[in-house]
Amino acid sequence: MTTAPGTGGEDPGLPLHGAVEAKDPDAGVPWQRVHFISPLVRGWIALVAILYFVGRDWFEGLFDAGSRARGPLPEGVGLLLAGGVVLGVVLLIAAGFFVAWYFTRYQVTAEHVRVHSGVIFRQQRQARLDRVQAIDIVQPLLARIFGLAELKFEVADAGESAVRLAFLKLDDATRLRATILARAAGVETDPEHPEDIVEAPEREVVALRPGRVIGAAVLSGATVVLLVAAIAVFVLGVVLGTAIVATSFIPILIGVGGAYWSALGTGYNFRAATSPDGIRMRYGLLDTRAQTVPPGRVQALSIVQSPLWRLKGWYRVSVNVAGYGAAASSEGQARATLLPVGTREEVLQILALVLPDPGTERPVELFSAGMTGRDGYEGFVTTPRRARWLAPLAWRRNGFAVTSTALLMRSGVLWRQLVVVPHERTQSLSIEQGPLDRRFRVSTLQFQTTPGPVSPRVHQTDSDAAWDLFHGQAARAAEARRRSAPEQWMKPLVVRQPAAPGTAPMPAGLPADAVPTTGTLSATDTLPTTDALPATGERPAQPGVREIMPEVPSYVPAPPVGGPADAPR
Amino acid sequence: MRSEPIDPSGLEWSRVSPKYLRVRLLGWLLGSLVWLVVASVPLVLRLTGVWESFPPEWVAWALPALVLVSAVWRGLLLPRQVAAIGYAERDDDLLVRQGVFFQRTMVVPYGRMQYVDIAVGPLQRAFGICTLKLHTASPATNALIPGLPTEEGTRLREQLSARGESRLAGL
Repeated sequence: MTTAPGTGGEDPGLPLHGAVEAKDPDAGVPWQRVHFISPLVRGWIALVAILYFVGRDWFEGLFDAGSRARGPLPEGVGLLLAGGVVLGVVLLIAAGFFVAWYFTRYQVTAEHVRVHSGVIFRQQRQARLDRVQAIDIVQPLLARIFGLAELKFEVADAGESAVRLAFLKLDDATRLRATILARAAGVETDPEHPEDIVEAPEREVVALRPGRVIGAAVLSGATVVLLVAAIAVFVLGVVLGTAIVATSFIPILIGVGGAYWSALGTGYNFRAATSPDGIRMRYGLLDTRAQTVPPGRVQALSIVQSPLWRLKGWYRVSVNVAGYGAAASSEGQARATLLPVGTREEVLQILALVLPDPGTERPVELFSAGMTGRDGYEGFVTTPRRARWLAPLAWRRNGFAVTSTALLMRSGVLWRQLVVVPHERTQSLSIEQGPLDRRFRVSTLQFQTTPGPVSPRVHQTDSDAAWDLFHGQAARAAEARRRSAPEQWMKPLVVRQPAAPGTAPMPAGLPADAVPTTGTLSATDTLPTTDALPATGERPAQPGVREIMPEVPSYVPAPPVGGPADAPR
Repeated sequence: MRSEPIDPSGLEWSRVSPKYLRVRLLGWLLGSLVWLVVASVPLVLRLTGVWESFPPEWVAWALPALVLVSAVWRGLLLPRQVAAIGYAERDDDLLVRQGVFFQRTMVVPYGRMQYVDIAVGPLQRAFGICTLKLHTASPATNALIPGLPTEEGTRLREQLSARGESRLAGL
């Protein structure tokens, strides 16, 4: 063993080593199994069911032993036999879970995550890390008790999770998430200690108090249903002169209670934070969930206000993320919710995280007009007056506005909605016109996006404006795609010199630690000036440093220039 | 191609093969006949006296008549519907349009295409045409071009794939 610094001893070895690595670079990465009690946590329902059915019999027998004649078998033998059968079944199920656990192995390499599973029908799955759309860490109640967590890795297949690792120790799960995100981001890791990846720092931007969540549930649509049902039952009871109809109230009560419960469960303790890894959300009452949506993964965003929420000025923010799919369940809805209930300021803060560069100098005014406004303020183009009979209530609100980075679509009078689609996320769009629309020279634009709760649509807008938007949007989307951030959001870029050769790509004069270190979270408080910078110039020349928290992007109201603010609230 | 009010100006639309009209007409004929036969069953039963009085006579007559009228209407509309289908290749995207009364034009950027399908049914194969379908990450992207001549369909597929590859962007 030569430990001398001489190169002679190592030189012959290195090329050979390199050749082996080239053949199978992932050979050295260990295969791992999930935590060994996870079969128990996953199969606890089956166990509980068996124990319940068997145990109830036995338990009842215990008390009735004296009064019940049990047949010819002596008491002891019957109990022994029953116990043996139960034990056998439980052992069989446990063995099944154990075998399934034993044959499930996973590996996280520099570029892929692989999962091998199955005993008779083997499955080998491999997903590219830079294709990650979202990562969830889920803790069902029982797993929480054991300190375990499930890791879900989502790619853009709009359905089931690409990779589900259930269950890992919570620490292992968070470390694995950090590893996956760091590698997906394209951060160069220390080759000596590739495991040495720390959790990216995060800064909390929104935290919901339980009172707000309860209030939101009380003011939600479920309450309206409950009130209507109560009135109907009362009227029926009076008309029919009997109280029996009151029993029909019970299923409604159960349904509404379920809605309240799920609203509480998914909104309770909701926290949104920003980090170099993207937007992070945590919530949950009994089951907790921590979601991470890396930068640039939000395909479309909607801000909705239901009629009763108007009293408090609350909004809900939902997003389409390719990995989440269009699950209609309450869990699926909760996953696609970026903010269950928030004030205008909180919504704007969340918007600033999703869209750090709003592409306008008046972001606060523009988005406020989109959330609550009517008519053509702040550059919104609404349904023309001649077509007001096609949308008698909403024609003054239906509209769209274009900034240099996103398209805003406004609709709805009772349920106010604002949809925001970043230009580079436009999948395809279609323009539609029916006979009635043709009569009033209006058209409807429909944007196709990945499955999710948001469906971007421009209702009944002037045909010429619609065509301008159609062609303009196609061009803007193409342009935005060309300069959009890479999939690996911290990958060092080949810096193209913006204008004058020789100038530093980073604005000089700023202290080094004030310069945002990630490419996507580039627009900070100096919003109006970043507009002037070309997209390539905004990016740091050095690879991203995940350990430093960049400044939280936020929108600043435009200074009151050119007279009073002309947007009425 | 006849210019419709919804058409953007300055675009060269490619039409689909005239053979597609024949395929559609054949399909329309077969479908209409089947529906007509089904709708005529009560009338036949009534006239042959198997059913005594259940469907009133006017209902028995009205049913096939209604089917016939709607079939003729759809048949008359078919040539215009086929003529309304068009596509245009631009530098960055493909435009597909369709519809007579309810018109729709869709733009699909090449860089957004995930894959391209070509489907050929037995009737289409007999006429040497095919249907091309574009898929993006959104299942709602419903861009299909029916009635392309086979060689044109193959060319378009290859071209779309090549352009898609050169302009491929992330989601």
